[in-house]
Amino acid sequence: MSAGEAKTKKTPHAAFAAQTARAELWRVVVLNDPVNRMSYVVMVLRRVFGLAEERARKHMLEVHETGRSVLWSGTREQAEAYVFALQQWHLTAVVQADGTAA
Amino acid sequence: MKRVEIKLNIGAVAPLLDVIKQAADDLRQNLAIRATFPEEDSEFNETWTQELLAGQNSDVRELLGLFGKDFFADGAIAIDSHNGDSLLRGCSALRIQILTRWLHGIPADLLEDEDVPPESIADAVRVPFAAYAFLDQVQKIILEHLDPLAEEA
Repeated sequence: MSAGEAKTKKTPHAAFAAQTARAELWRVVVLNDPVNRMSYVVMVLRRVFGLAEERARKHMLEVHETGRSVLWSGTREQAEAYVFALQQWHLTAVVQADGTAA
Repeated sequence: MKRVEIKLNIGAVAPLLDVIKQAADDLRQNLAIRATFPEEDSEFNETWTQELLAGQNSDVRELLGLFGKDFFADGAIAIDSHNGDSLLRGCSALRIQILTRWLHGIPADLLEDEDVPPESIADAVRVPFAAYAFLDQVQKIILEHLDPLAEEA
């Protein structure tokens, strides 16, 4: 199942919101969870974002130690697709506006 | 295609399956982790939730399918690169639900310890804890022996 499949039924309101949001950057933030083993989290980050082992491990440790890590920033649509993919693997992830104009 | 066959003690695993099936029932209509939605749009969010739920149910079914009639005949389960991803996700969802329903009072350091002495876990939650640990070991075997990233490399 592709990460973007949930985004098939946009209402006009949502479409307008998405258009106005397009000028901003959006972050994908992964939050800590008490269940998933570290090697599982590293594997998921590598799978979803195509990261090298070392970089994925760095993000996993940041999540573990600080409770969160910013994995990616860019367009809102892509950020939503990443968050959906992470939630499919049962990682807690959110999209946040980073306040920087694109 | 890589394949791992695990031989299990049927008598030891059977009580864990009772817990795992209860957790699976809980998850039929609920996500293991509450979804966070990027948009304030109820229709969008409902679609998002239903797609996650469909995937979660499929993964949990795949895992429960390992423990059917054949398992109770020979005690073996087979994992390969075709079902590995589903099983990894299914184990994750079920572990989260077992934690939520039975193990929320157990300190995090005990939950993360692979060598917890059984006497340090209260009798009432010892079987759910064993089920939680069992699913962790299934994940560990998949991650160590099936190389879930191989197809992506």
